[in-house]
Amino acid sequence: MTETLGTTDLRKAFGGVTALDGATVAFQHGRVNALIGPNGSGKTTFFNCVTGMIKPDSGTVTYAGRDITGKAPHRIARGGMGRTFQLCRTFPRMTALENVLSAVPPGGVLGGLRGARRRSEIDRAMGWLSRLGIEHLAGSEARDMSWGQQKLLELAGVLMAEPETVLLDEPAGGVNPALLDRIGVLIRELNAEGRTFVIVEHNMDLVMSISDHIVVFDRGRPIADGPPSVIKTDERVLGAYLGV
Amino acid sequence: MLNASRYLKIGAVVLLAVAILAFPSLAPNPYILSAGVLVLNYAVLSTSWNFVGGFTGYISLGHGALAGLGAYGTGLLVAKGGLPPFLALFAGAALVAALAVPIGFAALRVRGASFVIVSIALVLILLLVFQSSASVTGGSRGLVVPRPFDLTRPEHHRVFYYLFAGLLAVALLAWWLIDRSRFGLGLKSIREDEDKAEALGTATFSYKLIVFVVSAGFTALAGGLYALWFGDLDPVFQFSILTGSYLVLMALLGGVRQLFGPVAGAIIVGTALEYFKVEYGDTPLHLVATGLLLGLVVLFMPDGILPAIGDLLKRFDRTQKSSIREVTAAELREQRRGEQDDPNRTAMTEAGR
Repeated sequence: MTETLGTTDLRKAFGGVTALDGATVAFQHGRVNALIGPNGSGKTTFFNCVTGMIKPDSGTVTYAGRDITGKAPHRIARGGMGRTFQLCRTFPRMTALENVLSAVPPGGVLGGLRGARRRSEIDRAMGWLSRLGIEHLAGSEARDMSWGQQKLLELAGVLMAEPETVLLDEPAGGVNPALLDRIGVLIRELNAEGRTFVIVEHNMDLVMSISDHIVVFDRGRPIADGPPSVIKTDERVLGAYLGV
Repeated sequence: MLNASRYLKIGAVVLLAVAILAFPSLAPNPYILSAGVLVLNYAVLSTSWNFVGGFTGYISLGHGALAGLGAYGTGLLVAKGGLPPFLALFAGAALVAALAVPIGFAALRVRGASFVIVSIALVLILLLVFQSSASVTGGSRGLVVPRPFDLTRPEHHRVFYYLFAGLLAVALLAWWLIDRSRFGLGLKSIREDEDKAEALGTATFSYKLIVFVVSAGFTALAGGLYALWFGDLDPVFQFSILTGSYLVLMALLGGVRQLFGPVAGAIIVGTALEYFKVEYGDTPLHLVATGLLLGLVVLFMPDGILPAIGDLLKRFDRTQKSSIREVTAAELREQRRGEQDDPNRTAMTEAGR
């Protein structure tokens, strides 16, 4: 399998707290990758480092063979890597349609004074909203939507930018079981269309059912990786995380 | 229902335009006319401020300084450089816009309260600079700017009244164009959540810098026009923290997310300021009243007067759904029905691409 997103010896400390302690990770292109581990094991810091939101103290991040360490988040996003946030983030006082339209597709530059409401863009945005089942909310402001609807909206925005690789930070957090199933199905569908996923998630049922490859973090570095069947029986993983 | 409110909006805008254009003919004396010029000057300034404040949510208290720079730039180019007045006006504004690049480069790196403080620092620094370099700026003795036209006082006011009205129209047009553009959408997403906007591929810093420069350009044009109209500049008034505060108050009062919000705010606050000055002279009562007004707006109309009026009208409009709750309940029902009918909803609706 070719590599999509990878890191070498990534380190990041916040004051005296070491969040990432020499993390060397390789995710697989075209697969659903999962990143699991106990709270505070550095998963979100890892996401923030590879998407450029924070700068690692040392180490390198590569994406599709290019070094992207320390690049600005918008450049990384336009390079084809989209992400959602742990506590779902939308633009509260903008409508669902505007939320989705504000995603910049790859190669899109400043955009100039061109109208944001071009037919083709609106059609594409509405396409994503309806695929996620929230097209009836297109005209509602995000702040009036429920938590689950906002999670779907955030995902629609990320997908609007046409990323090759999608990083999801706890897509199942605070979501009801019915919606959870839908999100699982959707991830598999999008993966079948050629998108690579990296998912941070605590819901083990979801992780085990949708991922091809799992990386387990503990104390800022990977302690195991492999397919779900292997991870389920790995002694170190059971001890550190699954708590069995 | 949409048409009714749209006609109402267009009607209100036409009424406003007619009122602004007819004002000089109705003004009973030159003093009232000059007050009208001041109010229009405030309208241009707060609309210019709203390019940054309304779109990106960065609250600048330093726009008074940008207006002051425009005033001194134009004034010095006329008085010392011997340029024709209106060439000086545009050259001055271009200089300020160019200067806004390094200023914005430094100031826009910080957000929230830090940005507000940096913008205040800009005013204080420039006040000291312009007061102390008296050999060029005239310092506290002031700078006299020759008048561009040889007219009587009422005629002079009338001409400048229409010049300010024209500048206001251009500023409003520019704001409107940005508002409906992709660029504007990016700016608004910065206002809502800057990190999220960046994660979606928006080059947030460039966006902010560009709109700051546009805002500075319009602010400087208003400042320069003021210099040509008033003919006398003093650093204490040009680089006053009060100017920026008034602009923020006007924009917030009218509504920062509305095209005509700052204009509405400028008409209310500007008129009130002039009234208080006439009634209570040099007492600081107008400042007390302004402070009270700001408190009331923030408490009761956090989105400004225009949205509050819009909500009020909606309440009387029976064709529209009357409450948010009702809408959500209907949507919920629809959603449930959708899920029951068709469990494979996501699979069925093949991405509408």
